[in-house]
Amino acid sequence: MNTYAWLVRREFWENRAIWMIPAAVGALMILAALFGRVHQMSLPLEFPGLAVGELFLISIGATFFSVMSIYATWYLLDCLYADRKDRSILFWKSLPTSDAATVLSKLATALIVIPLVYFAAADLTSLLLAFVVSIRASSSFGGALWHAGLWLQLQVLWLYLIVASAIWYLPVAGYLLVISAWARRAVMMWSILLPIAAMLAERWFLGTHAIATQLGERLFGLPGVAFHANAGDGAWMTTAVGDATVRMPAGIWKFLDVGGFLTSPQTWIGAGLGVALLAWAIRLRERRAEI
Amino acid sequence: MSSIIEARDLTKMYGTQVALDHVNFSVQAGRIVGLIGPNGAGKTSALRAIVGLTSYQGRLQVLGREPFRERTALMLDACFIADVAVLPSWLRVDQAIDFVAGVHPRFRRDRALGLLAKTGITGQRRMRELSKGMKTQVHLALTMAIDAKLLVLDEPTLGLDILARRAFYDALVNDYMDETRTILVTTHQVEEIENLLTDALFIDKGRIVLDASLDDIATRYAAVAVAADRLEAARAERPFYERRMLGKVVLYFEHPNLERLAGLGDVHTPSVSDLFVAKLSGGAA
Repeated sequence: MNTYAWLVRREFWENRAIWMIPAAVGALMILAALFGRVHQMSLPLEFPGLAVGELFLISIGATFFSVMSIYATWYLLDCLYADRKDRSILFWKSLPTSDAATVLSKLATALIVIPLVYFAAADLTSLLLAFVVSIRASSSFGGALWHAGLWLQLQVLWLYLIVASAIWYLPVAGYLLVISAWARRAVMMWSILLPIAAMLAERWFLGTHAIATQLGERLFGLPGVAFHANAGDGAWMTTAVGDATVRMPAGIWKFLDVGGFLTSPQTWIGAGLGVALLAWAIRLRERRAEI
Repeated sequence: MSSIIEARDLTKMYGTQVALDHVNFSVQAGRIVGLIGPNGAGKTSALRAIVGLTSYQGRLQVLGREPFRERTALMLDACFIADVAVLPSWLRVDQAIDFVAGVHPRFRRDRALGLLAKTGITGQRRMRELSKGMKTQVHLALTMAIDAKLLVLDEPTLGLDILARRAFYDALVNDYMDETRTILVTTHQVEEIENLLTDALFIDKGRIVLDASLDDIATRYAAVAVAADRLEAARAERPFYERRMLGKVVLYFEHPNLERLAGLGDVHTPSVSDLFVAKLSGGAA
């Protein structure tokens, strides 16, 4: 194993929450399916099976993805701070691993390794849940969960989201690493306070809100850049349920906007800023010892 | 060139506060050098600079490298123990061994395991479960299993009881030290290490006040215990420090005239700790 593999392994030793949290989330869902009122669950008969399966898989995936986002944020804030606080940085720095390798291994853990763990956990949970629900629920409901095409699409969606998020959120991750490498206490507070202070300062002195807009775009704008909002005819399936109409994507293929994402200036300006922030975090790491 | 560490005008500032003030010294291969000074004298700043943890002004070469710029490469040939409490609490002993073996090409796992076997500490234990003395033994086993040319120790026995402190230095001298290695150690408990040092560097207020081998000290310094009736005669020899004890006065001399001193009382070579006190509190006597 090379140095990076050891550094990432080290992160698993230190942060057992990397796998314990998704394991707990999955276990809770499965327990709920095992002992909850799954057999009473029913959907209107006219609801297409594909939509049921889609709803099922997307809600599980979205739950894992949300928990993962929160955990990865916390991890990035903590990772260059915790070892300064407990002084173990003096041990790590006595070994021939560069500060760049340390920072990059933590970045890779947050943006690639942790999402892959959650992806695996979401898949495993979905599989077990579908199995439990199929056995316990009424047959039409259970059968709807087993669409091979749907499962394949979900794998692609996860991988696309992991790669796209890693690029899109690079400046956010870089910023969190800078705070983590720099702050002497209260990393969480600093990470929130600095952008708020910048936004307020801009508003008071310039009367504009460019920072807030940019920040909002960065935090919540990924779906708009990485997916087609208007996927055209045949992208949606609509079902009339009583008086209402339910609209679900007919598949992910028409929604993925890989070209648009990769050619958007927003993507690459952000990535450039992310690289600059990373370089800054590495520089801070080289100069900081224990607190 | 057998100079392991070479410092020229080494200066370290924290804001306007000067921690190291144009310090010059060198450390030769195969020596055990004590960097000795009171708290806040600049010991830790000097060591941090030497192992590449802080930036500095002036020239500093350690094993032919610039420590701050080349810390990663330097740590292949040098290792340091900052103090014993720095192994992270969540780390298991076997994980520590695996990790160091993974990232350090000069680490010899069999040697580490052999050293650990003597302590009876098992691999499944986490650092948080170990006493400070046991953690020291783990850290020392990890460090001694690295084939390094330079070992830097910063207050390595702080907070340890006397048994653990003695065990630490015994292991260092008996199982580690040989002519290919060099050790630089700081402590403010001088008595504890004076028997194993070959050289002493005294540092005070960011300046080196003594740089000598123990052999040099024996020829350069003398202490004489004189009775009260000969005190005036002894003072005429210009001691740099004097100290009363048990009805006699001990006078300390630099470049002494041993023949004249012999007539005044018992002449002996001062211990490193006595010399340290004399040098730092003396000045003009």
